[in-house]
Amino acid sequence: MRTLAVFQPPNFTSCSSSSSSIPQLSVSPVSFLHINHPNKTLILNKKTNFENQSSAYPSSHRSRLLVPRSQKQPENNVSEERDEMFDDLFDKYGKVVYSSSDQKPPTDEADDDAECLAFAIAMAKEASEVKAADIRLLFVKPLVYWTRFFIIVTAFSRPQIYAIASRIKDLAEEQYNKVPTGDFKPNSWTLLDFGDVVIHIMLPPQREYYNLEDFYANATSIDLPFESQSSPRN
Amino acid sequence: MIQPQTLLNVADNSGARKLMCIRIIGASNRRYAHIGDVIVAVIKEAVPNMPLERSEVIRAVIVRTCKELKRDNGMIIRYDDNAAVVIDQEGNPKGTRVFGAIARELRQLNFTKIVSLAPEVL
Repeated sequence: MRTLAVFQPPNFTSCSSSSSSIPQLSVSPVSFLHINHPNKTLILNKKTNFENQSSAYPSSHRSRLLVPRSQKQPENNVSEERDEMFDDLFDKYGKVVYSSSDQKPPTDEADDDAECLAFAIAMAKEASEVKAADIRLLFVKPLVYWTRFFIIVTAFSRPQIYAIASRIKDLAEEQYNKVPTGDFKPNSWTLLDFGDVVIHIMLPPQREYYNLEDFYANATSIDLPFESQSSPRN
Repeated sequence: MIQPQTLLNVADNSGARKLMCIRIIGASNRRYAHIGDVIVAVIKEAVPNMPLERSEVIRAVIVRTCKELKRDNGMIIRYDDNAAVVIDQEGNPKGTRVFGAIARELRQLNFTKIVSLAPEVL
């Protein structure tokens, strides 16, 4: 495992990565242990006898916690067990150094998800109108914190990639007032980044080579209404 | 702080193992490169039977540096190695997977492809 040091000045208490839904653990080789819990940053000092306490856990348990967070989604019972352990440790040794002032209720989060899903489906539909093939819509929010949806589509030529990208850009700008970042020229792997929705337009060889579906295999695949209608034709 | 002659690890499965920076792209007389900068590098060590070979000149994006990366919110990140991801002329990564943690600054610098192949983004 690659060691990583995250330092914060003593009088500074903000942490922007607290939006992550999965508790994230990073171990500093120097002084203390950071746990980024949703909406909270917890610091457990080694001086608070944490080291002795943690040795009570079996070594396999500890090593699993120290493995960097990968795309693999943990099993439910494991994550519950881990949450309980974090809560327990926090009650005993932790203190809240920062609590986010803009905490949203869970309903807002669900509303945001629904809004992004509607946008993503509109984009996927626009792509299918320009004859993009094999459109996959993945809900990757549980796996990565930096976006919510991935749309992966195949196009068969660069002019088609250009057509798909420009149609999507126009629709997003006109109806949703969103401007993408990413590639401006058609590329064999063109990426349009709308923040919460990331669109990958690939040629068939690139799609096979990078195999993003395999990498995000644990993400929930969302069925697209127009895809199911057109599937018998394929 | 990557400058010409700096040796870097490769953080992907492209087949290169060690790179040496020979030029920083972006300005005519720039001294150092940081996370998210593109460099021209030569492959000093490569995995056998892979498309990339030793002494080939390639482009790479720096993804980790020992020199601290400061964020506006006061957070400081430093890694324990200098590492880069090999890209082609179009900006697509040559490897299919990126290894290790990378910084989210790469997304703002339009390297979202590298970010989407990475296992962990800080």
